[in-house]
Amino acid sequence: MSMSDWEQLQHILNCPVRVEELLLSDHPAMAGLEAGTVVEDQSESLAIITAVDDGTIQMLNVGRGNLNETEKALIAWSVARYALKQAEEIHDADGGSEAERSARAIGEWIVKQSLAGGSEPLPSSLSQDGRLYAEMIPFLLETEQTAEASAFGELQKLLDSFLDEDVIVIPLKGQEWLVLAPLALVRDTLEDRDEQAETLEESLASIGSGLQEMLASEWIGECHLAVGRPMKPVKSVVQSVTLLRETIELGRIFELGANIHLPWNMHLERLLANIPEVVRYRYVEQALGRADVFMETETLSTLDTFFALDCNVSETAKKLFIHRNTLLYRLDKLKQETGLDVRVFRDAVLMKIILLLYKFTKRA
Amino acid sequence: MAGVRLEHVYKKYPGSDLASVKDINLDIKDKEFLVLVGPSGCGKSTTLRMIAGLEEISEGKLFIGDRLVNDVAPKDRDIAMVFQSYALYPHMNVYQNMAFGLKLRKFKKADIDKRVREAAKILDIEHLLDRKPKALSGGQRQRVALGRAIVREPQVFLMDEPLSNLDAKLRGQMRAEISKLTKRLETTTIYVTHDQIEAMTMGDRIVVMKDGIIQQTDTPEVLYNHPKNLFVAGFMGAPAMNFIAGTLADQGGALRFKSSGVDVAVPEGKAKLLREKGYANKEVILGVRPEDLHEEPVFLEASPDTIVTAHVDVAENLGHEMYLHLNGIGTQTVIARIDGRAGVMNGTNVKLALDMNKVHLFDKESELNIFEN
Repeated sequence: MSMSDWEQLQHILNCPVRVEELLLSDHPAMAGLEAGTVVEDQSESLAIITAVDDGTIQMLNVGRGNLNETEKALIAWSVARYALKQAEEIHDADGGSEAERSARAIGEWIVKQSLAGGSEPLPSSLSQDGRLYAEMIPFLLETEQTAEASAFGELQKLLDSFLDEDVIVIPLKGQEWLVLAPLALVRDTLEDRDEQAETLEESLASIGSGLQEMLASEWIGECHLAVGRPMKPVKSVVQSVTLLRETIELGRIFELGANIHLPWNMHLERLLANIPEVVRYRYVEQALGRADVFMETETLSTLDTFFALDCNVSETAKKLFIHRNTLLYRLDKLKQETGLDVRVFRDAVLMKIILLLYKFTKRA
Repeated sequence: MAGVRLEHVYKKYPGSDLASVKDINLDIKDKEFLVLVGPSGCGKSTTLRMIAGLEEISEGKLFIGDRLVNDVAPKDRDIAMVFQSYALYPHMNVYQNMAFGLKLRKFKKADIDKRVREAAKILDIEHLLDRKPKALSGGQRQRVALGRAIVREPQVFLMDEPLSNLDAKLRGQMRAEISKLTKRLETTTIYVTHDQIEAMTMGDRIVVMKDGIIQQTDTPEVLYNHPKNLFVAGFMGAPAMNFIAGTLADQGGALRFKSSGVDVAVPEGKAKLLREKGYANKEVILGVRPEDLHEEPVFLEASPDTIVTAHVDVAENLGHEMYLHLNGIGTQTVIARIDGRAGVMNGTNVKLALDMNKVHLFDKESELNIFEN
């Protein structure tokens, strides 16, 4: 039973609740008892077994207080149900379904290949009856919390329901999942010949954003998602995972506050990330003469917004909720401090590169 | 519906010694509309994300209703969120977007249909139910995002700058609609904004935050009229409160506030309190709101002891009122809000009387409001 569970119970019952662990060797009489069994019922406390494993017994000790018989029975019943649910989840994780075993085998192969830097095609035995020969859209999901044992089934069900398509879920590491969705998801975009229609990248970005928001609010909480261009998994799954993993890694550094990251928006960042750290430091110092210009979050957010809006002064001021003159004042101040006028293309390019190098140096 | 309680909540990010959010204590009542406001980076969104379950709580306890939810997944907290970067599900039409959360929770089809259609009616988007998000305008998308939250009939609505992607006109309209909607649904709402006008007009209570710390929590009226410190005084109100650094000179039994170009009498009641607190002949900061500087002859005649003369750098006439950007009162520009028909011109000198009963005085070191602490 987790800390928050019994803290909640303590709050509901309004009496002290604690969890204790006993060695079976010290209490041989308890061998064979099941979760939910009341082992002690005295006037001050009530002790109920919550879990039994090879060598230990976990017990919930509830201050008896004003509990009546019904409440006591209800607590014992809840503990027994809780233990049963935990056992089922562990069983699911150990055995899992055929689909899960197959997905885990693919995941293990991908992890091995990417660690070894390999780029071999997926063995046909892992191609999921040929499904992975078709072009698919790759999504890489990184969660902040470690998923529970039953996560595979939950995620598969959730994605099937959300995308209404046949989706392949592949667990990679503890908090990392690869999701392969059929190309049909962007069918509208691919078939639309209208010049005003969404591009493939716009379409993938909006599906990625919707998917990330749905997963955050309906499943796992905080998570990051990268989406790639369609590819044939049998040929390119390892390269695709490597690219998406790098995209999330860079996105966490360069796109603070964003949870959806797109490889086609990260070309410059990928290039700069390959520059050795010493060279990066030296360059920032030489270019600016000092490295503390960006220390103020106001300067950082002003420049980020200004570049994101293609150096448009009016739009930037509107987005930052400041007067145009205030923005011009900030840009003039920056020019005085750095010698770079970001309203001039050459200086803007230089400032953008310095800004990215600075972020990489500070946050990596 | 339920209240929300935060007890000594902290947020620390890995690798950082400093907490981004420090010792937050809040008791948000059932059905209350609470606004978290402050400059960017003050911790308001982090606080909301902790309530939503999108960020882990490093220390402290969070209760929704009577339930401790620190380790409860977002989906199980019975909350609904609307964020600035709300992402509608692009492959679903408006109806499906609104119905998806209910479908996941295994609601019956008839119930889903009833809830979606009711919410669509409230939000006036019934005619859009078959459309895909890309065929909607910004305002319509925002309504769908709200609809997705409403159909859940959650215990708490969490909104993080939900209007910031809309243009000014639409924001004003949606501001009023959200206020109306939450009152009608009687749902506890926690709303994050950096915009103090949104905060003042929407919140039953407002929490002003700075550097991860709550500066003051109170009703809009109290925050505006009785700010506890210099930050709150400067943050609430547009144009912002003017601050003039000066000294409280004790002259023949009366206290006068003196600064460059300023020599005004402090009313007796305030002077008595200032003396008791030991501020006579000490340096303080005087705060005066733009509307508490008066140019009307009646006011000037009635307050001969609080008159200052200033040079009008810029007179901005908005029609019904006029903003005067003034030089010569203290060392910084002071803004006065006067009647639009006053006819004051750029480059002229103007006499103004300070309403000394409404000014605030702040301790120069602690920046606390001397009268409110």
